[in-house]
This record gives sequence, C-alpha cells and structure tokens, in this order.
Amino acid sequence: MKNIFKNISTYGMALITILAVTSCTFEEVVDADNPSVDGVTIDASKGQLNELVVGVESSSRNGIAVEVTASGTMARELYLFDADPRNTGDLLGKNGIGLDNNSFYSVSQWNGSYRCIKNANILIASVSNTTAVNESERNGYLGFAKTMIAYELIQVLKSYGNARVDVSDPDNLGPILDFAPAISAVRSLLDEARGNLNNAGGAFAFNLSSGFDGFDTPSTFTQFNRGVAALAAVYANDGNGAIGALNDSYFNLAGSLDAGPKHVFGLGGGDQANGVFKIPDTNGDQIIVHNSWINEAEPGDTRVTSKTAVRIDPVSQDGLNGTHETRLYASNVSPIDILRNEELILLFAEASIQAGSLGNAETALNVIRNAAGLPNRDYGGTPTESQLTSEMLRQRRYSLWAENHRMFDLRRYGLSGSLPIDRPGDQVFNVFPIPLSENN
Amino acid sequence: MKQNNSNRRIFLLLLLVFPCFVFAQTTLTGKVNSDKGDTVPFANVIEKGTSNGTTTDIDGNFTINVDNLPVTLVFSSLGFETVEKSVINSSPVNVTMGESAESLDEVIVTGLATSIKRSNAANAVSTVSAEELVGTTGQTTVDGALYGKVTGVNITSSSGAPGGGFALRLRGVSSINGNNQPLIIVDGVYINNKEIASGLRGASGANRGNEENSGNRLADLDPNDIENIEILKGSSAAAIYGQRGNAGVVIITTKRGKGGKTKINFSQDVGINKLANAQGTRQWTAQEVEDVFGAAERAKYEATIAQNGSLYDFEDIIYGQTGFITETALSATGGDDKTKFYVGGSHRDEEGIIENTGFERLSLRANIDHKISDVFDFTSTSNYINSSSSRSFTGNENEGGLSYGYTLAFTRPWNNLFPDANGNYPNNPNYPGNPIFVRDNAKNEDSNNRFIQGLALNTKLYTDDIDRVKLVVSGGLDYLANETNIYVPENHQGQIGGQDGFVAIGKNNFTFFNSQAIAVWDHEALAGDLDLTTQAGMTYIRQESDQLLSQGTDLAAGQTTPSQAVNQSIFQNRATEQDFGYFGQIEGNYKDQFIATLGYRLDKSTRNGDENKFYGFPKASLAINIAEFDFWNLEAVNQVKLRAAYGETGNPAGFGSTFTSFAQSNIGGNSGQSLAGLKGDPNVEPETSKEIEVGMDLGFLNNRVTFEATYYKKEVSDLILTRALPASSGFTQETTNLADLENKGVELALRADVVDGERFKWNTGVQFYLNRSEVTRLDVPAFAQPGAGFGTGLGTFYIEEGQPVTQLVGNIDGELTQVGDVEPDFQMAFNNSLTLFKYIDVSFLFQLKSGGENLNLSEFLTDLGQTTPDLDTPEGQARLDTPANAERFVQPAGYFRLREAAIYYRLPKNAIQGLFGDAIEGIKIGASGRNIFTISDYNSYDPEVSVNGGAGLSSGIEVTPFPSSRQVYFHLNVNF
Repeated sequence: MKNIFKNISTYGMALITILAVTSCTFEEVVDADNPSVDGVTIDASKGQLNELVVGVESSSRNGIAVEVTASGTMARELYLFDADPRNTGDLLGKNGIGLDNNSFYSVSQWNGSYRCIKNANILIASVSNTTAVNESERNGYLGFAKTMIAYELIQVLKSYGNARVDVSDPDNLGPILDFAPAISAVRSLLDEARGNLNNAGGAFAFNLSSGFDGFDTPSTFTQFNRGVAALAAVYANDGNGAIGALNDSYFNLAGSLDAGPKHVFGLGGGDQANGVFKIPDTNGDQIIVHNSWINEAEPGDTRVTSKTAVRIDPVSQDGLNGTHETRLYASNVSPIDILRNEELILLFAEASIQAGSLGNAETALNVIRNAAGLPNRDYGGTPTESQLTSEMLRQRRYSLWAENHRMFDLRRYGLSGSLPIDRPGDQVFNVFPIPLSENN
Repeated sequence: MKQNNSNRRIFLLLLLVFPCFVFAQTTLTGKVNSDKGDTVPFANVIEKGTSNGTTTDIDGNFTINVDNLPVTLVFSSLGFETVEKSVINSSPVNVTMGESAESLDEVIVTGLATSIKRSNAANAVSTVSAEELVGTTGQTTVDGALYGKVTGVNITSSSGAPGGGFALRLRGVSSINGNNQPLIIVDGVYINNKEIASGLRGASGANRGNEENSGNRLADLDPNDIENIEILKGSSAAAIYGQRGNAGVVIITTKRGKGGKTKINFSQDVGINKLANAQGTRQWTAQEVEDVFGAAERAKYEATIAQNGSLYDFEDIIYGQTGFITETALSATGGDDKTKFYVGGSHRDEEGIIENTGFERLSLRANIDHKISDVFDFTSTSNYINSSSSRSFTGNENEGGLSYGYTLAFTRPWNNLFPDANGNYPNNPNYPGNPIFVRDNAKNEDSNNRFIQGLALNTKLYTDDIDRVKLVVSGGLDYLANETNIYVPENHQGQIGGQDGFVAIGKNNFTFFNSQAIAVWDHEALAGDLDLTTQAGMTYIRQESDQLLSQGTDLAAGQTTPSQAVNQSIFQNRATEQDFGYFGQIEGNYKDQFIATLGYRLDKSTRNGDENKFYGFPKASLAINIAEFDFWNLEAVNQVKLRAAYGETGNPAGFGSTFTSFAQSNIGGNSGQSLAGLKGDPNVEPETSKEIEVGMDLGFLNNRVTFEATYYKKEVSDLILTRALPASSGFTQETTNLADLENKGVELALRADVVDGERFKWNTGVQFYLNRSEVTRLDVPAFAQPGAGFGTGLGTFYIEEGQPVTQLVGNIDGELTQVGDVEPDFQMAFNNSLTLFKYIDVSFLFQLKSGGENLNLSEFLTDLGQTTPDLDTPEGQARLDTPANAERFVQPAGYFRLREAAIYYRLPKNAIQGLFGDAIEGIKIGASGRNIFTISDYNSYDPEVSVNGGAGLSSGIEVTPFPSSRQVYFHLNVNF
C-alpha cells in the first residue's frame, strides 16, 4: 500500500510541477465595448476620422444647459427652480456664500468645452498621421476642427474670463492665459482654419448633422468660421476686423434672423436632449424669468411673449419668485442656435460702434427692433455712442435672453454692479472660478 | 505536565491496590455523549502520550486496546470541549462532552488548505458562530447581521430597503478606487458581491450608477445556512490570498452534516418592519404659511385644515407601512461514516416600510461529504438561490420626481396627492412627482437566479506516523443571472412632455470561477514535539461579467417594454478578469509553545498594467503560548499568548483602468466617438498593503474569561486613486498609483461566562475598537475625490497628505477647510446572553459608535422646501440664514443602539414528550427585535448612511436614503 501512495505522491508532485512551470500566459486585456484612442492615432481610416468629426460636433453641446441657467441666474435673467439648492443659493451669493470651484456650475462648461476641444485635437492628430485622406480632404478636417476649437475657447472665455489655449499635449499643458492674449490666439486659430478651408476643395470628406445644413461645404463652413471670427473680433474690441469678418460670413441685415448653424438634439442612443427645454407649467423644475426682464421690457416687444409665458401658478422658492417661465424651446429636441444672423446683426451694431460708424449701428439695431415688433428708436437726434451702446446691450438682453450672453455682456461693459439684488445678503458674481482641478 | 504528577500518584496508588491487573493488555469500551444527551459520532479517542487512537462510531461507541491501566484517554471532536478522562479499570467508559461556543479548540483557517487551533493563532481572527449571527433575531443579509459582532469592522449601510445595501470595511479603508470590499469565500467559492446598477439614473437624473442604491449580492446568501464566519481582517492574516486579500477576507462556512441520526430542523419566523426613527413634520400655523409661501398658499392650507381637520403627514403616508416578514426554513442533517449530508431550504418574504417594496429569497442547499476510501474523500456544496427585490425610488436624483426624500422635502402638507375616485392622481404642485403615484405605479425591481457550487477532492497521498501528505484540489463556481427592471409610466408628472415614459431592462450575467490545487505535508519532528505543516499550491481565478441594458423612452400608453418605446438605446458592458498565483507556507508548532509561520504568494492579474508580471506577497508570524511552558504554574490563568504577525497583500486596479477609450457620441443620426474622459494608465501596478499586527490573548479559569488585545499598523503603498485631472486636458479623470495610506488601530475583546449553572447562565462580552488613517504620501496636489459627494461646495472627501483619508472638506469662505471626518473615534459592542430558570434564554446586543461626522444633505433639501421639522424653532430658523456650505450640513454621526434583543423559551423535554411523544426532540419559541432603539444627535433617519453605495470612500454622505426600519419577530423552532 505504501508504495502505491508513494507513486501517487510522486505523480501528484510531478503534475503540480508541470502545472507550475506551464502557467498560463495572459493576453493583454482590451476594452470589449469601446474603441480605443490608440486605435486612431496611426493610419486612421476615413470612417474613424468621420466618427471623430461627429464626436466633435456632438460634444460641442456639452455643458450648454448648466451654463445657460447658471450664467443666466448670475446675470439675473432667470432662476432655475429645481431640487438643487445651489441654483438659488451659491449663484446668487446667498447669505454671503462665495462661488465654489468644485461644484457643477463651475465645472460643467469648462469640462464640456475642453472635451470637445480634445476630440478636435485628436482629430487633428489623427488626420495628420494617416494616408487615408488626400491633401484637400485633410485641410477640410483641419479647418473644421480648428474652427470648433476656437468657438469652444470663446465659450470658455465668456464664462471664466481666462482660458488655457495650448492643450494639445495633456501631459504638458500650456498656461492659463488672460483674456486679451487668449482671444488673440483664438483669432489666429480662426484665420489658420480659414486657410485650411480655402484649400479644402469643393466638399468635405465627412458629413455634419442637419444643424449645419447650408454650412456643410468648405466654402459655406468658411462663412461660419468668419462669423465666429467676427464674434472674437468684437470681444477683442476690433470693430473693423469684425466688420471685415462679418462681410465674409452669412451676416445679412435683410435676411432671416434665424439663419445660422444649430446644435440639433435627439433622444436616440448616444445622443443628447436639449437640456434648456423645460416642460411647460410643470412644478419643481422650471426656468423662471427674472421679473426685471418682464418689467423692463418695452411695451409690445414680441420677444417677451415668444420667449416666455405667464405661469398658471406663480411660483416661489428660496425667497425668490416669478410670474413667467421659459418658452424658448418647444420640445426637448428643439435645436439651439450656435450663432444666428440675429446675433451677427447685433455684432455688426457693436462692431460699428467700436469702429465709429454710429449710423450703421443705429440701422442694425433698428432691424432688430423692427423684428421684435418695435418701432425705430427715437434717440432725440443723432444717437451718441453711449446711447447706442446702451441700446445695443438692451437689444442683446432681449434678443439673446437665456442664451448665455448677459453675464458676459455686463462684465465686459463693467455694468455687473447695476444688477438688482433680490434678497438681503445676496451678491452679484459675473465670472466663474477656474475649476479646482486646473490647479493640480 | 501538572497532571502527570497527579497521574503518577494515582498510578502508584493503583499499583498498591491492583498489582496483578496493571500490566495486562486491556480492551476498553465506552460511549461518548454530548451534554445535551446526543451521542457524539466520529469523536477522536486517543491514549494520551501515544499515537494509539480510534474514533467513535455513528452511535458514539468506541473500543480501544491499551497496553496497561490506568490510562488517560483524550476525547476530542470539532465543536466540543476536549475531555481527558483517567481510566483505572476496564468497565465501560462513559464520557460527556460539552459543546464549545467560543472554545480555544476551535480551529481557524490560516492557509488555503490548513487550519490551526485558535489557541495557537498569531492573528486576531474574528469568528462569528451561527448562534451569534442569527441566534438572536431574524436577519435579512449576512453583512447586516454582523453589526456589533466583530472588532475592527465598520459596516456602511447605503439603503434601508429590504435586502439591504451594505459594505464591510475591515480595519479602515485600504482601497479607494480599487476593490474596497473584502474577498468573500463561501465554502471555497469566491462569490460575487457586486452592486449591480439598474440604469435607474436614466429616469431619476442621478449622477452615477452608485447613486442608484442597488443592494449588494451577498444578500442572496441565507444567513441561516451559515455555520460560522471567519474574518481575516488585515494583510497579516490574509497574505496567503495575495492580491485578492487587500481589503480582508471573509470566510463563510455553511452547515454540514455531522453524521449520526438524521435530524430535522424546522423554523418559522414572522415579523414586521416599521420605520425606525420617524422625523416628524413641521408644525405649520396659518401665519407661518403666509410668511413663508404667501397668501395663496395660506388659503390652500386653510382649506385643507377646514376639510380634514389636519394636514397630510406624507412621512407616514410613504414610510409608514407595516411590512410583514415571514421566513420558513427546513433542514435535515445526518449520514453515516462514509457520507454525511446537510440539505435545507428556506424562504424569506419581507415587505418594506414603503408600500410595494420588499425582498424575497428562496434558497436551496445540499452539502455532501463523502469518504470514497481511506485515500480519497470529497465535499460538495451546492446552493441555488432565487431572490428578488423591489426597492422603489430613494437617494439622489436630479428632477426625476421619483426619489421620495426629494419629493417629501418639497411637498407642502396641505396638498392632497391621493388619487380621485377615477384613479387619477393629482399633480404635485411643489415637485415634478406625486410620491403616491410613484409608489403605486413606478417600478424598481431586480431578480436573481444564482447557483453556487463548491467542490473539493482530498487525496491522502501518504500517511504514516511521522508524515502525512495530502493533495487538495478544489474549485468553485458562482453563476448569477440578474435582471433589473425600471419602469416609470408615461403619465408620471416628471415624464410628461419630457421622456414620456421610461423603461430600462437589464440582463446581467456573472460567472465567477476559482480553482486551487494544494499539496499539504504534515511532518512530526523532534519525536513529536515539533509539528511542521508545509503547503504549496496554485490558484486560478476567472471572473466574467456581461451587463446588457435596454432602455426606452416615449412609451406607448401603459406599455412596459423597450420595444414599445420610440427612443431605444442599448448599453453593454463586458469584463473578464483573470488571476493566477502560486503560494507556499510552512508552519511549525513546537509543543504548542512556539507556533511560527512563514509564507509567500506570487500573483499576477489581467487587471494589472503588465498582465504577466508576478508580484510577491510574503508573510511571517509567531505566537508564543507562555502558559504552555513547564514553568507556568498559575492555575487560574490557562492562556497567555503573545503574538505577532506580518503580511502583505495587494489589489490590482479595477477592470478598465488601463483603457483610454472613446464613448459613443452621436448627433443627427451620425455615429460618433467622443473621448470617454478617463485617462487610462497602461502601466498601473497593484496597490499593496503591509501590515504588522501584535497582540496578546489571555484566558482565565479554563477560559471562563478571555481577553484579546490587538494593535495593528497597515501601510498601503501605491494606492490606486482616481483623481480629477485638469479638465482642459480633455480628460477629467485618471486612475493610477498616487499615494500611500496608513491605517492603525486597536481592537480589544473581553468575554466571560460569568455564571455557568444549569438553571442560570450568563455570558457577556465587550468589544472595543478604533482605527485612524492618514495619507502619508501624495504625488499630486490634494484633490477632491471624484464619485463620492457633491464637490467642495457642499463638502466632499478630499485626498490630502497628512490628513485622514476619511476627512470631509468644504469650501468655507473661499478656504478649503476640514469640517469633519466620517471615521468614528471608537466603536463598542456589548452583548449578553442569559439563561434563566433553565429554559428561558435572553440575549441583547448594544452597539456604540462614538464620534465621526456625516454630511446631512437631506436637510439641505428640506430646508429649501421649508419642511424640516425643526424650522419652527429659533435654531432652525437661524440655520436658514447661514451660508449653504459644508459646515452647515456636517453633523455628529455617533449613536448608541440596542441592535438586537431576544427572549426564547425552550420547552422542557418532558413537556415535549408529554405532548408529542418521541417524535419531536426540541421546541423553542421566542420573540426578538432588531434596531430596537437608537440614541443619536444626528438629524435624520439613521447615521449609518451612504448616498454612493458601498464602494470606495462612500460612507457618511446622506441624500434622502431609504429609511432604516425596526424589526420585530416571533420565532418557532422545532427539532425532530
């Protein structure tokens, strides 16, 4: 018996030894459910590049909803009455509290815009390292990507006052620039993008969504590029530069105010809904119009009735109240304008003031007024620059209500202090803190 | 040694009295009974000081030949106190063995295939017996049953829903973004304890899956099946589990057949769930209503008062159900000398305190032990579970109109939300959801079909007097098919005009497989004074998961499937992990005086950056039993053990940490890819813990009184952390090795059989433990921990060098300030079990958690909605005027709680015989309660709370949880 055991024991030990020596070699694990970033860095196919284009367009919608309501609250355009008390607390400086740099309102736009910028930078890197496209196709991708980066950087500057412009190497980020150098870099990038678009042939190698209908070829997309360039020029106080850019854009004093590219929305897989839409007359999650916007409107201004409506139940929350709520969007898939002709006309007015062409400014502002059912403004003679500036800001206030403009408009004209205080202890903030993670 | 003298004296005496018998060869026979009157089969009977021995047969009888009389026979059997009996003549030897509850002869697991007597262990291994676990009161889940029973454990409850939501944290936090949950092994099977996200956030707007308050799947295991639980709390005890042992190991052994007469046990529990700690409502006056909400609301208030005489108490309407609980269990155990079995089934049906919530579990078990021959034997453990739960909607959300805590925070109590005669629910004027509609019509359900199978084959390769070699080949499989079902009807207020109906159906499959082959060599050296146990083996683990979620919005009226939805989306997550390791260990035991262990484990894992690189985890320990030395002559002190243990464990990064991936991002019907945001680290290394543990165990009066003291220091190196990256890089997070963390603590346990008579017994125990943590190295600037909490504005966990890892930090006037720490100062438990008048058993367990803070963000919401009960007081009003920062929400989370209490009556044997004859052996009836009362300064339902589930740094932040309940049971237990 003992021999048998010994044999078994010998065989057993031998078996263990064999198993031990031939331990299985593991294969590298890959993400079974998502494509890897490494997969597009070298020799990306046209299909992969086009998915990146769609990703750039799609992610340019990131952060819009929070930015509209947060900056709109800070600029006393609206309140967001929902279950997050910070919307009526922090943003209005309630009881002396300051803005936090690690809360949803301070990171949403920043993270969203830079995600889009990163996607565009991945597209730029991929398209520069593949043989799948020819030179003019490559220029098409580059012109698109750079224009979108510039547009997103402008959004960052509006909200934060500063921006990190050089972000192509995530391990070696450039400095956070002040407004002036940053906007100047943005303008250079837009010009660079126009150069690419000029060499991009007659058609893009990729498709954009229906939001870019009419702006989906190199030449028509250049018009969008120039519109953005005009925006940047006005923000850089370069009126003449802006007017020049506007003339190459789809700016049209006689055209439809709504013309221009749009963010489109959908409810399918991987898509996004319009987060600024609110269900009419619902309770508990509502964009309430700040009473001053209603009260200070000129009688007959159709923008009041087209953008807002009286609530059946007036509502109060956290010591705040309002009678009107938003009607800006008809449904949760209604598009949001990226840059419409109405804004270009207002930019033309502003650029004209900056350039000293006050008559052009007056004309443009009257176009806006007439469209809103208001007669030409009587300035009591030839309008002064300051009269026109205040009229321009007023028309922007009503034309661009709840579209993330008012806070920046007041900041750049030094007028934030003119905002009303709704509750004792509230404060006015006009810029978001740079997110905490940027200090790391 | 002491007894040898007395034996010698008896021997001399015997020489005088029976000179002629002494030197003859003698056959002794006898019978072994337990102190409860049962026979004890398969007990070892050894002639002391020799290798001569036998075992009792199935009826407890034995026969042994001895060379001469007198002899001392040593009787031992698992679960009984060892008995030594002097035999002076050849008349039948009848021995009674007492069952041991906390006996020193109990064995505990130290390696993967060997065990060690508790009295020789070098680690403080906590053991929880079946009696301690479920002997007092009814328990839904194993983890929930451990409160107050184990030193060094911190239990987080993320949901008071039936079926729970618990996380065990042993000796502090040892991983933050890796696996922070201990490895749970049930009869050799590495089981799945995942919290499975349901996609509920698609309707509620919760930020992440961990805010969906899913239960953890340990809930599938029936606590009543458990024989005992051993908890290897630190790396020094768990080192042999290598990179699965970093958060500790919970080894669960289920009941097995002991052989002998077939015994049948039937038990029936009925009980109720009630809201444990109602918060009450604000006592409004008409003037207050007008001051706060205006005249229009005052009119509504007055109309309601006029109509009903009172306001609606929505807390009672939603949380006020009396949930009915039934649990029925039937088991049979028995067998012969070749095959032993335990088969059992149980069914638990529990309703929650919210209508339409509940948990149901059917568990069937067959545990078989079979001896094929003297060489081969195997054990098989099979458990099938069908469980389901309905958890409704609680916890964090964003405008879903679903979570009751949110709804109730804003709902003013003068609004009638009950359906009218036609079944139409009114809209809630204050929030986008009517809680009564949600309760009655929306669904958050899961169901689980699960099979757990363990198998072990023991081969005794070689046996002689000095050497024993055996090979243990074992494996385990845990297959779980989980289904989740979220349904929010299209006519839910928050859905109308938005999603217009939401449904999410999850089909999730998990297959966990583990196998080991271990060779064990026992060798007796130095003429039996030194026992050497050497083992070596290898282990392979494979865990696969495939989670598929089908989601639909814009539903056809009344339809509940994604195929009736206009907008359909499907999400799939697949993961496969594999581990492979070698280990070896040698234990030496010199006369029970010195017990030393050395071990080493080598592990690799596909979750590491380099999937084929081996990482080594050593261990070493020494225990010295001073009372076993010859010089020890203090009779009253039977044990003095000094012990020290060192060990290392590891933990690979979570699956996916090495990936930098895109996520689908579509627009206008075009398929697109957007960066997923996580910057993967393809070189991520496992985080490793090094722990040293020292302690002392004392036993007095033959262990009537025992005391155990332990100090540990555990250093986690290369802690894997997910940190926020500068988002301008395009990445928001990375997961990589960034920090070192230290946990140190003290654990004390005192236990005493104060009175041990037949009519009156009193057993008492006190436990005390504390833990302190500190981040000792951080390679990057301090950062707010993503995924736990809501940012520095409201307070968050904040990883900072030199500070506790559990600190809560908030932005106070622009300065990041530590406002609290969720780690308690210390915890204590005090348990007592008494027997009165022979037949009445009383037991109770108190638990004290001292110190520690929570962030009570539920109060933030009720303050905003003006519904906090204390807003009638000046303090409450003053709070409304303070800035809404972390300082305002941090609250003391200490508590004192009567966790369990019970009284049972065992019917006397003669009474049973009078009533039922011999058919029934024992009947026990009783009543018990759980969470009976709590004293706490915390202003919400339960200071044990977590909005972010069980993983990572998640305890102590509260947002509208499922409130905890108090349970009361009646028990009937019958043995046949």
